[in-house]
Amino acid sequence: MIKRLVAGYKKAFGLNKPGRLLKVFPDDVFIVSYPKSGNTWTRFLIANLVYPEKHPDFANINLLVPDPEGVTRRDLERLPRPRYLKSHAYFDHRYPKVLHIVRDPRDVVLSEYYFDIKRNAIPEGFPVDQFVSRFVKGELSHPYGTWAENTATWFYTRANTPRLLLVTYESLQSDAPRQMARIADFLGIPTTPERIAFAIEQSSADRMRELEKKQGHLWSSTKRTRQDKPFVRAAKAGGWKKELSPDSIHEIESHWGRLMQELGYELASGPAAANGAADAPPMRAEFQTGVQQDPAGAQLAGRR
Amino acid sequence: MARFYKHLKAAYRRAVGLQRPGKSLVIFPDDVFLVSFPKSGNTWTRFLIANLRFPNEPATFDNINRLLPDTTATPKRVFDSMPRPRIIKSHECFEPRYPRVINVVRDPRDVVVSQYKYHQKIRKIEVDSPIEKFVTRFLNGETCPHGSWGQNVATWLYTSEGSPRYLQLRYEDLIADTPRELEKVAKFLNLATSPALLAQAVERSSADKMRKMEKQQDHGLYRGSRQDMTFVRAAGSGGWHKDLPMDQVARIESAWGPLMHHLGYELATITPQEAGEFAAFGSATNIPR
Repeated sequence: MIKRLVAGYKKAFGLNKPGRLLKVFPDDVFIVSYPKSGNTWTRFLIANLVYPEKHPDFANINLLVPDPEGVTRRDLERLPRPRYLKSHAYFDHRYPKVLHIVRDPRDVVLSEYYFDIKRNAIPEGFPVDQFVSRFVKGELSHPYGTWAENTATWFYTRANTPRLLLVTYESLQSDAPRQMARIADFLGIPTTPERIAFAIEQSSADRMRELEKKQGHLWSSTKRTRQDKPFVRAAKAGGWKKELSPDSIHEIESHWGRLMQELGYELASGPAAANGAADAPPMRAEFQTGVQQDPAGAQLAGRR
Repeated sequence: MARFYKHLKAAYRRAVGLQRPGKSLVIFPDDVFLVSFPKSGNTWTRFLIANLRFPNEPATFDNINRLLPDTTATPKRVFDSMPRPRIIKSHECFEPRYPRVINVVRDPRDVVVSQYKYHQKIRKIEVDSPIEKFVTRFLNGETCPHGSWGQNVATWLYTSEGSPRYLQLRYEDLIADTPRELEKVAKFLNLATSPALLAQAVERSSADKMRKMEKQQDHGLYRGSRQDMTFVRAAGSGGWHKDLPMDQVARIESAWGPLMHHLGYELATITPQEAGEFAAFGSATNIPR
Protein backbone atom coordinates (compact mmCIF):
# COMPACT_ATOMS: atom_id res chain seq x y z
CA MET A 1 0.00 0.00 0.00
CA ILE A 2 2.72 2.47 1.03
CA LYS A 3 4.73 1.28 -1.96
CA ARG A 4 1.82 2.03 -4.27
CA LEU A 5 1.31 5.46 -2.74
CA VAL A 6 4.96 6.29 -3.26
CA ALA A 7 4.71 5.04 -6.85
CA GLY A 8 1.59 7.14 -7.43
CA TYR A 9 3.25 10.23 -5.99
CA LYS A 10 6.32 9.69 -8.14
CA LYS A 11 4.20 9.23 -11.23
CA ALA A 12 2.24 12.41 -10.56
CA PHE A 13 5.42 14.45 -10.33
CA GLY A 14 7.24 12.76 -13.20
CA LEU A 15 9.77 11.07 -10.93
CA ASN A 16 9.11 7.60 -12.32
CA LYS A 17 11.53 6.00 -14.75
CA PRO A 18 9.57 5.29 -17.93
CA GLY A 19 11.63 2.47 -19.49
CA ARG A 20 9.62 0.93 -22.32
CA LEU A 21 6.74 3.30 -21.57
CA LEU A 22 8.90 6.23 -22.67
CA LYS A 23 7.15 8.83 -24.79
CA VAL A 24 9.24 8.87 -27.97
CA PHE A 25 9.73 12.10 -29.92
CA PRO A 26 10.12 11.95 -33.70
CA ASP A 27 13.63 13.43 -33.56
CA ASP A 28 14.91 11.08 -30.83
CA VAL A 29 18.08 9.15 -31.47
CA PHE A 30 18.69 5.83 -29.74
CA ILE A 31 22.02 4.19 -29.12
CA VAL A 32 21.00 0.59 -28.80
CA SER A 33 23.09 -2.38 -27.84
CA TYR A 34 23.06 -5.57 -25.87
CA PRO A 35 24.67 -5.05 -22.43
CA LYS A 36 28.49 -5.23 -22.39
CA SER A 37 28.84 -4.37 -26.05
CA GLY A 38 30.65 -1.08 -25.77
CA ASN A 39 27.55 0.92 -25.02
CA THR A 40 29.19 3.09 -22.35
CA TRP A 41 32.14 3.83 -24.57
CA THR A 42 29.82 4.84 -27.44
CA ARG A 43 27.86 6.94 -25.00
CA PHE A 44 31.03 8.84 -24.09
CA LEU A 45 32.01 9.17 -27.74
CA ILE A 46 28.64 10.68 -28.65
CA ALA A 47 28.52 12.90 -25.57
CA ASN A 48 32.03 14.20 -26.27
CA LEU A 49 31.04 14.92 -29.84
CA VAL A 50 27.71 16.62 -29.11
CA TYR A 51 28.41 18.28 -25.75
CA PRO A 52 32.20 18.81 -25.54
CA GLU A 53 31.62 21.90 -23.38
CA LYS A 54 29.97 19.77 -20.67
CA HIS A 55 33.10 17.63 -20.13
CA PRO A 56 31.27 14.30 -20.08
CA ASP A 57 32.25 12.00 -17.21
CA PHE A 58 30.69 9.31 -15.04
CA ALA A 59 28.98 11.98 -12.94
CA ASN A 60 27.00 13.56 -15.78
CA ILE A 61 26.81 10.91 -18.50
CA ASN A 62 23.47 9.64 -17.18
CA LEU A 63 21.95 13.01 -17.96
CA LEU A 64 23.80 13.77 -21.19
CA VAL A 65 22.96 10.47 -22.89
CA PRO A 66 20.37 8.98 -20.56
CA ASP A 67 18.79 5.55 -20.42
CA PRO A 68 14.97 5.76 -20.20
CA GLU A 69 15.19 3.01 -17.59
CA GLY A 70 17.60 4.93 -15.43
CA VAL A 71 16.38 8.51 -15.52
CA THR A 72 13.11 10.09 -14.43
CA ARG A 73 10.41 11.15 -16.83
CA ARG A 74 10.86 14.74 -15.74
CA ASP A 75 14.55 14.75 -16.62
CA LEU A 76 13.83 13.05 -19.93
CA GLU A 77 11.27 15.70 -20.84
CA ARG A 78 13.70 18.49 -20.02
CA LEU A 79 16.53 17.28 -22.23
CA PRO A 80 17.60 19.44 -25.15
CA ARG A 81 16.31 18.16 -28.49
CA PRO A 82 17.17 16.10 -30.36
CA ARG A 83 17.68 13.74 -27.45
CA TYR A 84 20.44 11.14 -27.57
CA LEU A 85 19.23 8.17 -25.57
CA LYS A 86 20.95 4.96 -24.61
CA SER A 87 19.05 1.70 -24.43
CA HIS A 88 19.50 -2.06 -24.13
CA ALA A 89 15.98 -2.65 -25.38
CA TYR A 90 15.06 -5.32 -27.90
CA PHE A 91 13.15 -4.16 -30.98
CA ASP A 92 10.86 -1.22 -30.40
CA HIS A 93 9.22 -0.04 -33.60
CA ARG A 94 8.71 3.43 -32.16
CA TYR A 95 12.42 4.27 -32.05
CA PRO A 96 12.82 6.64 -35.00
CA LYS A 97 16.58 6.41 -35.50
CA VAL A 98 18.78 3.69 -34.08
CA LEU A 99 22.53 3.47 -33.82
CA HIS A 100 23.00 -0.26 -33.24
CA ILE A 101 26.27 -1.27 -31.61
CA VAL A 102 26.94 -4.99 -31.98
CA ARG A 103 29.79 -6.93 -30.44
CA ASP A 104 31.10 -10.45 -30.88
CA PRO A 105 29.09 -12.56 -28.39
CA ARG A 106 32.20 -14.51 -27.48
CA ASP A 107 33.63 -11.28 -26.07
CA VAL A 108 30.29 -10.11 -24.68
CA VAL A 109 30.03 -13.20 -22.51
CA LEU A 110 33.46 -12.59 -20.99
CA SER A 111 32.69 -8.96 -20.34
CA GLU A 112 29.41 -9.94 -18.69
CA TYR A 113 31.28 -12.56 -16.65
CA TYR A 114 33.69 -10.02 -15.17
CA PHE A 115 30.95 -7.46 -14.66
CA ASP A 116 28.84 -10.04 -12.79
CA ILE A 117 31.81 -10.68 -10.49
CA LYS A 118 32.20 -6.96 -9.95
CA ARG A 119 28.57 -6.62 -8.93
CA ASN A 120 28.53 -9.78 -6.85
CA ALA A 121 26.08 -11.67 -9.06
CA ILE A 122 28.56 -14.57 -9.17
CA PRO A 123 31.49 -15.35 -6.89
CA GLU A 124 35.05 -14.87 -8.00
CA GLY A 125 36.39 -17.99 -9.69
CA PHE A 126 32.97 -19.08 -10.97
CA PRO A 127 33.62 -21.58 -13.82
CA VAL A 128 33.58 -19.71 -17.14
CA ASP A 129 32.19 -22.74 -19.01
CA GLN A 130 29.21 -22.84 -16.74
CA PHE A 131 28.69 -19.12 -17.16
CA VAL A 132 28.74 -19.48 -20.94
CA SER A 133 26.04 -22.17 -20.75
CA ARG A 134 23.88 -19.89 -18.69
CA PHE A 135 24.51 -17.02 -21.07
CA VAL A 136 23.46 -19.07 -24.08
CA LYS A 137 20.39 -20.45 -22.34
CA GLY A 138 19.26 -17.00 -21.34
CA GLU A 139 19.77 -17.39 -17.60
CA LEU A 140 20.78 -13.80 -17.19
CA SER A 141 20.78 -11.18 -14.51
CA HIS A 142 19.06 -8.69 -16.79
CA PRO A 143 15.75 -8.64 -18.69
CA TYR A 144 16.96 -7.98 -22.25
CA GLY A 145 16.82 -11.49 -23.70
CA THR A 146 19.79 -13.47 -24.99
CA TRP A 147 22.46 -11.85 -27.15
CA ALA A 148 21.00 -13.45 -30.26
CA GLU A 149 17.39 -12.63 -29.45
CA ASN A 150 18.17 -9.02 -28.73
CA THR A 151 20.44 -8.58 -31.72
CA ALA A 152 18.15 -10.44 -34.12
CA THR A 153 15.12 -8.31 -33.29
CA TRP A 154 16.97 -5.22 -34.55
CA PHE A 155 19.03 -6.77 -37.28
CA TYR A 156 16.27 -8.66 -39.06
CA THR A 157 13.80 -5.80 -38.90
CA ARG A 158 15.92 -2.78 -39.75
CA ALA A 159 19.33 -3.76 -41.16
CA ASN A 160 20.03 -1.72 -44.29
CA THR A 161 17.14 0.63 -43.77
CA PRO A 162 17.72 4.36 -43.32
CA ARG A 163 16.45 4.09 -39.74
CA LEU A 164 19.27 1.93 -38.40
CA LEU A 165 23.03 2.19 -38.57
CA LEU A 166 24.88 -0.93 -37.53
CA VAL A 167 28.36 -0.39 -36.15
CA THR A 168 30.35 -3.23 -34.67
CA TYR A 169 32.34 -2.70 -31.51
CA GLU A 170 35.28 -4.28 -33.31
CA SER A 171 35.21 -1.71 -36.11
CA LEU A 172 34.99 1.11 -33.59
CA GLN A 173 38.09 -0.33 -31.93
CA SER A 174 40.07 -0.71 -35.12
CA ASP A 175 39.05 2.47 -36.90
CA ALA A 176 37.30 4.89 -34.59
CA PRO A 177 37.74 8.04 -36.73
CA ARG A 178 36.07 6.47 -39.76
CA GLN A 179 33.24 4.89 -37.78
CA MET A 180 32.63 8.10 -35.86
CA ALA A 181 32.37 9.98 -39.14
CA ARG A 182 29.75 7.46 -40.31
CA ILE A 183 27.89 7.82 -37.04
CA ALA A 184 27.95 11.62 -37.11
CA ASP A 185 26.72 11.57 -40.67
CA PHE A 186 23.89 9.18 -39.82
CA LEU A 187 22.84 11.12 -36.73
CA GLY A 188 23.13 14.45 -38.53
CA ILE A 189 25.69 15.86 -36.09
CA PRO A 190 27.63 18.63 -37.82
CA THR A 191 31.28 17.93 -37.15
CA THR A 192 34.89 18.19 -38.28
CA PRO A 193 37.76 15.67 -38.20
CA GLU A 194 39.24 17.69 -35.34
CA ARG A 195 36.10 17.43 -33.24
CA ILE A 196 35.92 13.70 -33.92
CA ALA A 197 39.57 13.27 -32.92
CA PHE A 198 38.90 15.23 -29.75
CA ALA A 199 35.86 13.08 -28.87
CA ILE A 200 37.86 9.90 -29.42
CA GLU A 201 40.72 11.12 -27.30
CA GLN A 202 38.39 12.26 -24.52
CA SER A 203 36.74 8.81 -24.52
CA SER A 204 39.92 6.73 -24.62
CA ALA A 205 40.13 3.66 -22.40
CA ASP A 206 42.92 5.28 -20.37
CA ARG A 207 40.93 8.44 -19.76
CA MET A 208 37.79 6.47 -18.87
CA ARG A 209 39.81 4.33 -16.44
CA GLU A 210 41.07 7.47 -14.78
CA LEU A 211 37.57 8.92 -14.54
CA GLU A 212 36.28 5.63 -13.15
CA LYS A 213 38.91 5.67 -10.41
CA LYS A 214 37.75 9.09 -9.29
CA GLN A 215 34.02 8.69 -9.90
CA GLY A 216 33.24 4.96 -9.87
CA HIS A 217 31.50 5.31 -6.55
CA LEU A 218 29.18 7.98 -8.01
CA TRP A 219 27.91 6.31 -11.16
CA SER A 220 24.65 4.32 -10.98
CA SER A 221 26.08 1.27 -12.77
CA THR A 222 29.10 0.90 -10.50
CA LYS A 223 28.36 2.50 -7.13
CA ARG A 224 27.03 -0.56 -5.33
CA THR A 225 29.62 -2.89 -6.82
CA ARG A 226 33.05 -4.13 -5.82
CA GLN A 227 35.43 -1.21 -6.00
CA ASP A 228 38.45 -3.52 -6.32
CA LYS A 229 37.28 -4.52 -9.81
CA PRO A 230 37.23 -2.08 -12.73
CA PHE A 231 34.20 -1.39 -14.96
CA VAL A 232 36.43 -0.26 -17.82
CA ARG A 233 38.30 -3.50 -18.32
CA ALA A 234 40.43 -4.63 -21.27
CA ALA A 235 38.60 -2.41 -23.82
CA LYS A 236 39.78 -4.79 -26.53
CA ALA A 237 38.36 -7.18 -29.07
CA GLY A 238 39.18 -10.88 -29.34
CA GLY A 239 39.88 -11.70 -25.69
CA TRP A 240 37.77 -14.84 -26.13
CA LYS A 241 40.49 -16.50 -28.19
CA LYS A 242 42.60 -16.78 -25.05
CA GLU A 243 39.98 -17.06 -22.36
CA LEU A 244 37.20 -19.28 -23.70
CA SER A 245 37.52 -23.06 -23.89
CA PRO A 246 36.89 -24.78 -27.25
CA ASP A 247 33.72 -26.25 -25.75
CA SER A 248 32.39 -22.85 -24.81
CA ILE A 249 33.23 -21.42 -28.21
CA HIS A 250 31.46 -24.32 -29.84
CA GLU A 251 28.44 -23.90 -27.61
CA ILE A 252 28.02 -20.25 -28.61
CA GLU A 253 28.67 -20.85 -32.27
CA SER A 254 26.36 -23.84 -32.58
CA HIS A 255 23.47 -21.79 -31.25
CA TRP A 256 24.12 -18.44 -32.81
CA GLY A 257 26.52 -19.20 -35.67
CA ARG A 258 24.16 -18.18 -38.39
CA LEU A 259 23.49 -14.73 -37.00
CA MET A 260 27.18 -14.29 -36.13
CA GLN A 261 28.15 -15.05 -39.70
CA GLU A 262 25.59 -12.69 -41.11
CA LEU A 263 27.10 -10.01 -38.92
CA GLY A 264 30.52 -10.87 -40.29
CA TYR A 265 32.02 -12.74 -37.34
CA GLU A 266 34.18 -15.63 -38.39
CA LEU A 267 33.39 -18.90 -36.65
CA ALA A 268 36.21 -20.77 -34.96
CA SER A 269 34.44 -24.12 -35.32
CA GLY A 270 34.18 -23.53 -39.06
CA PRO A 271 31.21 -22.42 -41.09
CA ALA A 272 29.70 -25.88 -40.63
CA ALA A 273 28.44 -24.82 -37.23
CA ALA A 274 26.09 -22.36 -38.85
CA ASN A 275 24.92 -24.56 -41.68
CA GLY A 276 21.76 -26.55 -41.63
CA ALA A 277 19.88 -23.95 -39.64
CA ALA A 278 17.08 -26.48 -39.30
CA ASP A 279 19.24 -28.84 -37.25
CA ALA A 280 20.87 -26.12 -35.21
CA PRO A 281 19.49 -25.69 -31.72
CA PRO A 282 16.96 -22.85 -31.53
CA MET A 283 18.18 -19.47 -30.43
CA ARG A 284 15.52 -19.39 -27.78
CA ALA A 285 16.53 -22.12 -25.37
CA GLU A 286 14.34 -24.32 -23.21
CA PHE A 287 12.73 -22.21 -20.56
CA GLN A 288 14.15 -22.62 -17.09
CA THR A 289 11.60 -21.74 -14.49
CA GLY A 290 13.08 -20.36 -11.37
CA VAL A 291 15.65 -18.30 -13.19
CA GLN A 292 13.32 -15.40 -13.76
CA GLN A 293 12.25 -15.50 -10.18
CA ASP A 294 15.74 -15.39 -8.83
CA PRO A 295 15.44 -12.42 -6.51
CA ALA A 296 19.10 -11.50 -6.81
CA GLY A 297 18.75 -11.50 -10.56
CA ALA A 298 15.60 -9.40 -10.44
CA GLN A 299 17.28 -6.89 -8.22
CA LEU A 300 20.30 -6.61 -10.42
CA ALA A 301 18.14 -6.34 -13.50
CA GLY A 302 16.59 -3.19 -12.16
CA ARG A 303 19.94 -1.69 -11.44
CA ARG A 304 21.64 -1.78 -14.75
CA MET B 1 -8.36 21.77 -14.02
CA ALA B 2 -9.52 19.28 -16.62
CA ARG B 3 -6.07 17.76 -16.46
CA PHE B 4 -6.37 17.43 -12.71
CA TYR B 5 -9.66 15.52 -13.00
CA LYS B 6 -8.11 13.28 -15.62
CA HIS B 7 -5.30 12.46 -13.20
CA LEU B 8 -7.75 11.91 -10.37
CA LYS B 9 -9.82 9.56 -12.50
CA ALA B 10 -6.71 7.65 -13.54
CA ALA B 11 -5.61 7.41 -9.90
CA TYR B 12 -9.03 6.07 -8.87
CA ARG B 13 -9.05 3.50 -11.66
CA ARG B 14 -5.54 2.49 -10.66
CA ALA B 15 -6.51 2.14 -7.00
CA VAL B 16 -9.36 -0.27 -7.78
CA GLY B 17 -7.42 -2.13 -10.48
CA LEU B 18 -9.40 -0.96 -13.50
CA GLN B 19 -6.42 0.26 -15.50
CA ARG B 20 -5.23 -1.76 -18.50
CA PRO B 21 -1.76 -3.10 -17.68
CA GLY B 22 -0.31 -2.92 -21.21
CA LYS B 23 3.48 -3.19 -21.16
CA SER B 24 3.48 -2.98 -17.34
CA LEU B 25 1.79 -6.38 -17.00
CA VAL B 26 3.34 -8.52 -14.30
CA ILE B 27 4.20 -11.78 -16.02
CA PHE B 28 4.14 -15.16 -14.25
CA PRO B 29 6.48 -17.99 -15.29
CA ASP B 30 3.54 -20.21 -16.30
CA ASP B 31 1.87 -17.61 -18.54
CA VAL B 32 1.24 -18.43 -22.17
CA PHE B 33 0.89 -15.66 -24.74
CA LEU B 34 -1.20 -15.81 -27.88
CA VAL B 35 0.65 -13.43 -30.16
CA SER B 36 -0.02 -12.25 -33.68
CA PHE B 37 0.09 -9.25 -35.92
CA PRO B 38 -3.40 -7.66 -35.98
CA LYS B 39 -5.91 -9.13 -38.45
CA SER B 40 -4.24 -12.50 -38.55
CA GLY B 41 -7.00 -14.59 -37.06
CA ASN B 42 -6.16 -13.63 -33.50
CA THR B 43 -9.80 -13.29 -32.39
CA TRP B 44 -10.80 -16.59 -33.93
CA THR B 45 -7.85 -18.39 -32.36
CA ARG B 46 -8.71 -16.70 -29.10
CA PHE B 47 -12.22 -18.14 -29.27
CA LEU B 48 -10.90 -21.58 -30.23
CA ILE B 49 -8.44 -21.71 -27.35
CA ALA B 50 -10.87 -20.23 -24.83
CA ASN B 51 -13.48 -22.80 -25.84
CA LEU B 52 -10.92 -25.56 -25.45
CA ARG B 53 -9.62 -24.35 -22.12
CA PHE B 54 -13.04 -23.49 -20.59
CA PRO B 55 -15.49 -26.08 -22.00
CA ASN B 56 -18.04 -25.11 -19.36
CA GLU B 57 -18.28 -21.51 -20.44
CA PRO B 58 -18.71 -20.98 -24.18
CA ALA B 59 -16.72 -17.97 -25.37
CA THR B 60 -18.64 -14.90 -26.48
CA PHE B 61 -17.72 -11.36 -27.42
CA ASP B 62 -18.86 -10.40 -23.92
CA ASN B 63 -16.66 -12.75 -21.90
CA ILE B 64 -13.63 -13.21 -24.15
CA ASN B 65 -11.71 -10.36 -22.52
CA ARG B 66 -12.07 -12.17 -19.23
CA LEU B 67 -11.44 -15.75 -20.44
CA LEU B 68 -8.44 -14.92 -22.58
CA PRO B 69 -7.52 -11.38 -21.64
CA ASP B 70 -5.84 -8.71 -23.71
CA THR B 71 -3.14 -6.60 -22.05
CA THR B 72 -4.53 -3.44 -23.61
CA ALA B 73 -8.25 -4.14 -23.11
CA THR B 74 -8.68 -6.14 -19.90
CA PRO B 75 -8.49 -4.47 -16.46
CA LYS B 76 -5.56 -5.33 -14.26
CA ARG B 77 -7.70 -6.87 -11.53
CA VAL B 78 -8.95 -9.53 -13.94
CA PHE B 79 -5.33 -10.47 -14.65
CA ASP B 80 -4.62 -10.66 -10.92
CA SER B 81 -7.53 -12.93 -10.07
CA MET B 82 -7.82 -15.30 -13.02
CA PRO B 83 -6.95 -19.02 -12.87
CA ARG B 84 -3.36 -20.02 -13.70
CA PRO B 85 -1.84 -20.77 -16.08
CA ARG B 86 -3.15 -17.70 -17.81
CA ILE B 87 -3.43 -17.49 -21.58
CA ILE B 88 -3.03 -13.89 -22.69
CA LYS B 89 -3.60 -12.20 -26.04
CA SER B 90 -1.10 -9.69 -27.39
CA HIS B 91 0.00 -8.08 -30.65
CA GLU B 92 3.48 -7.22 -29.38
CA CYS B 93 6.71 -7.78 -31.25
CA PHE B 94 9.25 -10.12 -29.63
CA GLU B 95 9.21 -9.80 -25.88
CA PRO B 96 11.82 -11.92 -24.04
CA ARG B 97 9.74 -11.87 -20.87
CA TYR B 98 6.97 -13.98 -22.45
CA PRO B 99 7.67 -17.48 -21.10
CA ARG B 100 5.74 -19.40 -23.76
CA VAL B 101 4.27 -18.15 -27.01
CA ILE B 102 1.69 -19.30 -29.55
CA ASN B 103 2.21 -17.20 -32.65
CA VAL B 104 -0.41 -17.08 -35.40
CA VAL B 105 0.87 -15.83 -38.74
CA ARG B 106 -1.15 -15.06 -41.86
CA ASP B 107 -0.37 -14.30 -45.48
CA PRO B 108 0.33 -10.53 -45.49
CA ARG B 109 -1.57 -10.15 -48.76
CA ASP B 110 -4.71 -11.24 -46.90
CA VAL B 111 -3.76 -9.30 -43.77
CA VAL B 112 -3.58 -6.03 -45.66
CA VAL B 113 -7.02 -6.53 -47.20
CA SER B 114 -8.48 -7.48 -43.82
CA GLN B 115 -6.97 -4.44 -42.13
CA TYR B 116 -8.08 -2.17 -44.98
CA LYS B 117 -11.69 -3.29 -44.54
CA TYR B 118 -11.44 -3.14 -40.75
CA HIS B 119 -10.18 0.43 -40.84
CA GLN B 120 -13.20 1.30 -42.98
CA LYS B 121 -15.47 -0.32 -40.44
CA ILE B 122 -14.00 1.55 -37.50
CA ARG B 123 -14.00 4.78 -39.54
CA LYS B 124 -10.23 5.20 -39.53
CA ILE B 125 -10.32 5.62 -43.29
CA GLU B 126 -13.05 6.47 -45.80
CA VAL B 127 -14.77 3.65 -47.62
CA ASP B 128 -13.54 4.96 -50.96
CA SER B 129 -9.95 5.49 -49.77
CA PRO B 130 -7.59 3.94 -52.38
CA ILE B 131 -5.99 0.65 -51.40
CA GLU B 132 -2.63 1.76 -52.90
CA LYS B 133 -2.35 4.39 -50.24
CA PHE B 134 -3.18 1.86 -47.55
CA VAL B 135 -0.57 -0.60 -48.82
CA THR B 136 2.08 2.12 -48.59
CA ARG B 137 1.22 2.78 -44.96
CA PHE B 138 0.97 -0.96 -44.31
CA LEU B 139 4.48 -1.56 -45.66
CA ASN B 140 5.80 1.28 -43.52
CA GLY B 141 4.19 -0.11 -40.40
CA GLU B 142 1.95 2.92 -39.99
CA THR B 143 -1.42 1.18 -39.83
CA CYS B 144 -1.10 -0.05 -36.25
CA PRO B 145 1.23 0.44 -33.29
CA HIS B 146 2.93 -2.97 -33.51
CA GLY B 147 5.54 -2.47 -36.21
CA SER B 148 5.03 -3.58 -39.79
CA TRP B 149 3.87 -7.10 -40.62
CA GLY B 150 7.41 -8.04 -41.65
CA GLN B 151 8.99 -6.59 -38.54
CA ASN B 152 6.46 -8.11 -36.16
CA VAL B 153 6.72 -11.59 -37.70
CA ALA B 154 10.51 -11.41 -38.07
CA THR B 155 11.11 -10.57 -34.43
CA TRP B 156 9.34 -13.78 -33.41
CA LEU B 157 10.54 -16.02 -36.18
CA TYR B 158 14.23 -15.19 -36.01
CA THR B 159 14.40 -15.41 -32.24
CA SER B 160 12.09 -18.30 -31.46
CA GLU B 161 11.55 -20.67 -34.38
CA GLY B 162 12.35 -24.22 -33.34
CA SER B 163 12.18 -23.50 -29.63
CA PRO B 164 10.08 -25.78 -27.41
CA ARG B 165 8.70 -22.62 -25.83
CA TYR B 166 7.28 -21.45 -29.13
CA LEU B 167 4.41 -22.75 -31.26
CA GLN B 168 3.87 -21.22 -34.66
CA LEU B 169 0.55 -21.66 -36.44
CA ARG B 170 -0.47 -20.46 -39.86
CA TYR B 171 -3.95 -19.03 -40.17
CA GLU B 172 -4.26 -20.86 -43.47
CA ASP B 173 -3.58 -24.23 -41.78
CA LEU B 174 -6.09 -23.41 -39.09
CA ILE B 175 -8.71 -22.81 -41.79
CA ALA B 176 -7.75 -25.97 -43.69
CA ASP B 177 -7.83 -28.37 -40.74
CA THR B 178 -8.95 -26.71 -37.54
CA PRO B 179 -9.06 -29.77 -35.25
CA ARG B 180 -5.57 -30.85 -36.25
CA GLU B 181 -4.08 -27.42 -35.54
CA LEU B 182 -6.05 -27.02 -32.33
CA GLU B 183 -4.70 -30.34 -31.13
CA LYS B 184 -1.19 -28.89 -31.49
CA VAL B 185 -2.29 -26.08 -29.21
CA ALA B 186 -3.69 -28.52 -26.68
CA LYS B 187 -0.40 -30.45 -26.65
CA PHE B 188 1.57 -27.24 -26.27
CA LEU B 189 -0.63 -26.19 -23.35
CA ASN B 190 -0.63 -29.68 -21.80
CA LEU B 191 -4.42 -29.70 -21.91
CA ALA B 192 -6.10 -33.08 -21.65
CA THR B 193 -8.41 -33.30 -24.62
CA SER B 194 -10.45 -35.61 -26.81
CA PRO B 195 -11.78 -35.51 -30.37
CA ALA B 196 -15.19 -34.62 -28.93
CA LEU B 197 -13.81 -31.68 -26.94
CA LEU B 198 -11.86 -30.46 -29.95
CA ALA B 199 -14.94 -30.70 -32.15
CA GLN B 200 -16.96 -28.81 -29.58
CA ALA B 201 -14.43 -25.98 -29.43
CA VAL B 202 -14.31 -25.78 -33.23
CA GLU B 203 -18.07 -25.74 -33.47
CA ARG B 204 -18.45 -23.05 -30.81
CA SER B 205 -15.94 -20.86 -32.65
CA SER B 206 -17.25 -21.34 -36.19
CA ALA B 207 -17.50 -18.30 -38.45
CA ASP B 208 -21.30 -18.66 -38.52
CA LYS B 209 -21.53 -18.76 -34.73
CA MET B 210 -19.20 -15.80 -34.42
CA ARG B 211 -21.16 -13.81 -36.99
CA LYS B 212 -24.37 -14.48 -35.06
CA MET B 213 -22.78 -13.50 -31.75
CA GLU B 214 -21.34 -10.35 -33.31
CA LYS B 215 -24.87 -9.32 -34.34
CA GLN B 216 -26.47 -10.09 -31.00
CA GLN B 217 -23.93 -8.94 -28.48
CA ASP B 218 -23.35 -5.38 -27.46
CA HIS B 219 -19.73 -6.06 -26.70
CA GLY B 220 -18.46 -2.51 -26.83
CA LEU B 221 -15.44 -3.68 -28.78
CA TYR B 222 -16.57 -2.08 -31.99
CA ARG B 223 -18.99 0.49 -30.62
CA GLY B 224 -19.27 3.53 -32.85
CA SER B 225 -18.09 1.55 -35.87
CA ARG B 226 -20.02 1.19 -39.11
CA GLN B 227 -22.82 -1.27 -38.54
CA ASP B 228 -23.15 -2.02 -42.25
CA MET B 229 -19.74 -3.71 -42.16
CA THR B 230 -18.91 -6.74 -40.05
CA PHE B 231 -15.91 -7.60 -37.88
CA VAL B 232 -16.15 -11.30 -38.71
CA ARG B 233 -15.71 -11.02 -42.46
CA ALA B 234 -14.90 -13.70 -45.03
CA ALA B 235 -13.08 -15.97 -42.54
CA GLY B 236 -11.17 -17.53 -45.42
CA SER B 237 -7.77 -17.42 -47.01
CA GLY B 238 -6.60 -16.28 -50.42
CA GLY B 239 -9.09 -13.41 -50.75
CA TRP B 240 -6.24 -11.25 -51.98
CA HIS B 241 -6.42 -12.91 -55.40
CA LYS B 242 -9.69 -11.06 -55.86
CA ASP B 243 -9.30 -7.96 -53.67
CA LEU B 244 -5.68 -6.92 -54.14
CA PRO B 245 -4.46 -5.49 -57.48
CA MET B 246 -1.40 -7.29 -58.87
CA ASP B 247 0.84 -4.22 -58.64
CA GLN B 248 0.11 -4.06 -54.90
CA VAL B 249 0.81 -7.78 -54.54
CA ALA B 250 4.17 -7.10 -56.17
CA ARG B 251 5.01 -4.36 -53.69
CA ILE B 252 4.31 -6.62 -50.73
CA GLU B 253 6.29 -9.50 -52.22
CA SER B 254 9.27 -7.34 -53.02
CA ALA B 255 9.35 -6.07 -49.44
CA TRP B 256 8.84 -9.36 -47.62
CA GLY B 257 9.33 -12.08 -50.24
CA PRO B 258 11.98 -14.10 -48.36
CA LEU B 259 9.97 -14.12 -45.17
CA MET B 260 6.77 -15.08 -47.02
CA HIS B 261 8.56 -17.84 -48.91
CA HIS B 262 10.00 -19.16 -45.67
CA LEU B 263 6.51 -19.31 -44.18
CA GLY B 264 5.31 -21.30 -47.19
CA TYR B 265 3.32 -18.58 -48.94
CA GLU B 266 3.64 -18.99 -52.68
CA LEU B 267 4.87 -15.83 -54.38
CA ALA B 268 2.89 -14.62 -57.38
CA THR B 269 5.10 -11.91 -58.84
CA ILE B 270 8.68 -13.03 -58.21
CA THR B 271 10.51 -16.33 -57.88
CA PRO B 272 11.90 -17.34 -54.50
CA GLN B 273 15.39 -17.02 -56.03
CA GLU B 274 14.67 -13.43 -56.94
CA ALA B 275 13.23 -12.82 -53.49
CA GLY B 276 16.55 -13.87 -52.00
CA GLU B 277 17.68 -15.72 -48.93
CA PHE B 278 15.65 -16.01 -45.76
CA ALA B 279 17.66 -13.27 -44.09
CA ALA B 280 17.55 -9.67 -43.09
CA PHE B 281 15.46 -7.40 -45.26
CA GLY B 282 17.84 -6.15 -47.82
CA SER B 283 21.15 -7.91 -48.01
CA ALA B 284 23.12 -8.29 -44.84
CA THR B 285 26.39 -8.84 -46.60
CA ASN B 286 27.32 -5.21 -47.13
CA ILE B 287 27.87 -4.16 -43.55
CA PRO B 288 30.91 -1.92 -43.66
CA ARG B 289 33.57 -3.39 -41.43
